[in-house]
Amino acid sequence: MQETQKKKTGQGRTRLFGIPLIMPFIRPYVPRVLFMIFLGILSSLADTIYPLFNSWALDHFVAERTLDGLPVFLFLYILLMVLQEADNYYCLYQCGKVEVEIDRDLRNAAFAHLQTLSFSYFNQNSVGYIHARTMSDTERIGELMAWRMMDVVWNVSYIVCVTGVMLAVNVRLALYVLVMVPAAAVIILYFQKKIVAGSRKVREINSRITGNFNEGITGIRSIKTLRIEEVMRKGFEEETEGMRRTAVRTARHGALLTSMITFLSSMALALVLWRGGALTMEGVIRIGTLSVFMSYAVGMLEPVQGIITSLSALISIQVNIERFTGLLEEESDVRDTPEVIEKYGDHFHAKRENWEPLRGDVEFEDVSFMYPDGNELVLEHFNLKVPQGTNIAIVGETGAGKSTLVNLACRFYEPTQGRVLIDGRDVRERSQLWLHSSIGYVLQTPYLSSGSVRDNLRYGRPDATDEQIREALHMASADFVVERMEKGLDSDVGEGGSMLSTGEKQLLSIARAILADPRILVLDEATSSVDTVTERAIQDAIAAVIRGRTSFVIAHRLSTIVGADVILAVRDGKILEKGTHRELMHQKGYYYQLFTRQYEESVWAGS
Amino acid sequence: MMKKSTGNDNRKSGSKQLRFPTNTSLILFFLRGSILYFAAGAVCACLVALFDLIIPRLIQYTVDAVIGGNLSSVPVWAAGLIEDLGGVSFLRSHLWMAAAAVAAAALAGALSRYGFRVSNEKGSETFLERTRNQLFRQILALPYSWLGENSTGDIIQRCTSDVETIRVFVSEQLTSLLHVFILVFMSLYFMITIQPKLTAAAAVFIPIMIISSLVFYGLIGSEFETVDSEEGHLSAIAQENLTGVRVVRTFGREKFERERFEAQNEFYTNHWIRLMRVLAAFWVSGNVIATVRNMTVAVYGAVLCVGKELTAGGLIAFLSYNALMSLPVRRIGRVIADMSKTGVSMERLRYIMNAVPENAPEQGEACNLQRTETAEGSGDLSGPVQDPYSLPEEIRFAPMDRDIEFSHVSFRYREDAPEVLHDISMKIRAGSTVGILGATGAGKSTLMLLLDRMWELPPEQGRICVGGVDIRNIDRGWLRQNIGMVLQEPYLFSRTLEENLAIAMPDKRDPENSGFEAVEQKAVHRDREIRRAAQIACLDEAVERFADGYDTFVGERGVTLSGGQKQRAAIAQMLIRRTPVMIFDDSLSAVDAETDARIRRALQENTSEATVILIAHRITTLRHADEIFVLEKGRIAEHGNHDELMAMDGIYRRVYQLQTGAGE
Repeated sequence: MQETQKKKTGQGRTRLFGIPLIMPFIRPYVPRVLFMIFLGILSSLADTIYPLFNSWALDHFVAERTLDGLPVFLFLYILLMVLQEADNYYCLYQCGKVEVEIDRDLRNAAFAHLQTLSFSYFNQNSVGYIHARTMSDTERIGELMAWRMMDVVWNVSYIVCVTGVMLAVNVRLALYVLVMVPAAAVIILYFQKKIVAGSRKVREINSRITGNFNEGITGIRSIKTLRIEEVMRKGFEEETEGMRRTAVRTARHGALLTSMITFLSSMALALVLWRGGALTMEGVIRIGTLSVFMSYAVGMLEPVQGIITSLSALISIQVNIERFTGLLEEESDVRDTPEVIEKYGDHFHAKRENWEPLRGDVEFEDVSFMYPDGNELVLEHFNLKVPQGTNIAIVGETGAGKSTLVNLACRFYEPTQGRVLIDGRDVRERSQLWLHSSIGYVLQTPYLSSGSVRDNLRYGRPDATDEQIREALHMASADFVVERMEKGLDSDVGEGGSMLSTGEKQLLSIARAILADPRILVLDEATSSVDTVTERAIQDAIAAVIRGRTSFVIAHRLSTIVGADVILAVRDGKILEKGTHRELMHQKGYYYQLFTRQYEESVWAGS
Repeated sequence: MMKKSTGNDNRKSGSKQLRFPTNTSLILFFLRGSILYFAAGAVCACLVALFDLIIPRLIQYTVDAVIGGNLSSVPVWAAGLIEDLGGVSFLRSHLWMAAAAVAAAALAGALSRYGFRVSNEKGSETFLERTRNQLFRQILALPYSWLGENSTGDIIQRCTSDVETIRVFVSEQLTSLLHVFILVFMSLYFMITIQPKLTAAAAVFIPIMIISSLVFYGLIGSEFETVDSEEGHLSAIAQENLTGVRVVRTFGREKFERERFEAQNEFYTNHWIRLMRVLAAFWVSGNVIATVRNMTVAVYGAVLCVGKELTAGGLIAFLSYNALMSLPVRRIGRVIADMSKTGVSMERLRYIMNAVPENAPEQGEACNLQRTETAEGSGDLSGPVQDPYSLPEEIRFAPMDRDIEFSHVSFRYREDAPEVLHDISMKIRAGSTVGILGATGAGKSTLMLLLDRMWELPPEQGRICVGGVDIRNIDRGWLRQNIGMVLQEPYLFSRTLEENLAIAMPDKRDPENSGFEAVEQKAVHRDREIRRAAQIACLDEAVERFADGYDTFVGERGVTLSGGQKQRAAIAQMLIRRTPVMIFDDSLSAVDAETDARIRRALQENTSEATVILIAHRITTLRHADEIFVLEKGRIAEHGNHDELMAMDGIYRRVYQLQTGAGE
């Protein structure tokens, strides 16, 4: 699955951690970010100045034993504090704001783009994968762009300011402190790599452990019936032990790094004390200066570590950016031409005033088709006229490719060759939204979204009245589902309809399709998990619903489609036979075989 | 204590005798094996604080006595030490000795810091490992019914984020509390010895910082929760949109979806921005307090210096101590605010750990303790676990290739729930094939859950016997080992197809003969068994179509199989176990009629001696069974073989006609 995403990450696009790739999303924030950088530098400057106050107090008040100038000292101290904290407040607030606003823009763009992608994309990528692209990658990009960048700004400007002050005060002493910086940088870089790799491993194991928990809980009945508790337990405990080993190893590196960095800071301090002390005794510098150097020595290496951590995080942003832009660059297999969009509108802006009413004539004209991820034609020069109101049934084994025709008629895919005509015109001449707005689809695995029953039923027709909703429910024999629920139409169906049984979900999704009053109706094995009696009721409802509508029924049980106008028998992705039940039975071909095998007993019993 | 208790009492007895009556008892249980690491970590933490605090002291002495030449400002012992080392003048020319002392303290500090971090992390990871292992064992040991009553997502959340909360509490929050405690007290001690008045001035700020931090995190806690749940909503909208992409497209609601997402996105973002304002304000207010404190120390210290109550070196040391304490103290509010979550998480884990496992003795304190011990010691879940009743082996491990008899079985899932089964009596002859037909919710699957003891039949609600032995007296493990069941919703583990089948194969370990040849022989045998099972289940033809064949990765993180392929894999998984009883719980529903017929034929040829129970909607599936029971609303409405039932002109015949279209 992931492989399809790896394509086209050309070279030369990886400059600057891939940030140029998302420039359009950052551009609106550039002025604010530049201002933040400016403020960040000011704040670091203030941090550099504080120790000078202490030093001045030591050299002036303490050394000269006088309190002269104390009010001015206090005033300046407080002034600096107020200025710096105002600066900090604005900077922090803006930084957080920029972060979440970039997140928001990226997410919106990703989500909107997903709405225009064709089915082949969704078939080739798992929901979890796409969801992570939309939610997690964007979040990381925002966080890294805003905070990590500011961290680098703060730390770099602090180091620069401190170095400047130190060099200005005493070059020799400054060098004693500065010599520690490259030493620290080398050590940090060395460990950073190991730590990053280690924590990645830990995260991987951790997600496997979560997966194990998931399996242990959702698969518990299988585990118990198969009696494999011991196997599962052993597998689990191997994972947790591996996790401990890896995490402890990584922690050792981390501990070594922190210890070494604090030790180096103290070494810088010791050097300053030794050489600076001598200079103080010689009267070259004053005691306050010595104290300033000591504070700088202690505080100099933490920013170095900060810079390296942030930079390594920024390097990792590249992966997120590439995944995100990969999603945006994903092109739909099914696209409306500019002329069509001009006239009919796009996915989000329908120009309904230009929409012709849809009657429901469907025609396949010399259609050949191959799935984008397939390697053989599943339809070859296929011709079929489906006049308005015709009931088409498609039968065949599981996985035989029964959905192909429906996918083409609904323009979820486009023919490799030939044309699909709706009301006599090529389906590509009108917009996807125009067509989809007139299709009702009842899925094999019915899908409801969280919200009330009413919201779900009205999905295809937002302005439906309760009266119409009840009518649709009645037609789908689904009244009892709603009656049974405490708050009637206002009842919550739960996430993905989790509060309802599969059968109930199917009934509601039929009612939803009925309410939308589509010209073309697709029923995809919709009745396979409802019991026979309910199924019969649904079939009656369907019989009423499909009257006057063009419909495609994909069914398992052949008895349900005996009355269809045209039956297509599909095997290994290809249409073998087409005709009415009577014709196909006469033909004594594949359909006949299917039918008689399913009902061998009935033939044998002679009833 | 050995009074015979009723089924209902059994369930309640758990609440009388909790395994972990308090949060403390649970955490102590999880802490076994890691507590020593934490103790070592605490010792190291004290050393870290000590060496961190000694350095400013060394600097103070150097600045005052050596550089300033003022011996009177240092304690008597330090002055003596300086004299011993050759006096101030000697040290002035050998200042490197002072620097070396600082370096030595730094080295000792670094070593103890390393020791602290490593032992703490070892403790943390050992704790995590043990907690997870114990939870996983408990989950495997819990009755199926318990897992059914609790939502999967919720349990997983308990096992992941609640465990994480507790781990953070033990390894980070407790530790940093300890760290701050040591640091504050030791530095106060060091500071008092330098200058008590200045210490008082600096110490005033500590409670101010702690309290402001506490107040803030108390206020902000609920805000964080709101933001989290708003993010959850946003994430759910995306998830639903992706899962329901077909519905969105066919109803042409892209615009609606986009607007819905953007509205929630905006809402969530604005929430965050508001929260950012508060966070920034807090951070800045913390800075202000710290700066004011530093200023106070600098200014008041200067005043004291002027009054000769403090030396320059003393002031420098004070300023260092101030800097040392600043960050840990500011974090304390966060730590304490987060700690309140720990109690809740602990309760949530206690809920799992206190649930009564399937095989737990149902009463008696002594038994309960014993159970805890054995679970600890052996860690064995699948072997025969001691049953409450000390029944003879021939009962607990009664042969299963016998007649199965349900007599007067009635059942409800909860006391307040409606009856699912009512007075069911049926006899399933050993080696026969029995069909069960019924509408959704008629109680077919419940019957099988009871037979497998996934749910326990209360004593007064009838009996289920195998070869005349009540299954409540038969060891659960033994029972399940001998009943193969293919579930309505098959579950495949995220492994390869081959591993999924192999995992189910009974492991017949031969301790005498474990040489290389034996291992090889075992592998050959395993492969043969896998192929055989796959063939009967008509899985082999599907496998041939996969690029990786049996090495295809399936389940959660692998290729998603179609419903029919999954069912066939599950059938193969069961067949590989060669059990004397086989149950197909509506497990051919997703395969087409043709494959259905082929699988049944293959089954008949290969497993003729087994007792087979077929549950189905489709009459063709049941048609050949020796006897068919028609279940309606928890009662047996009709039974007999196909011909008899057809002659009866009842439900069976009606369903048959519906399905074959013969009535039209």
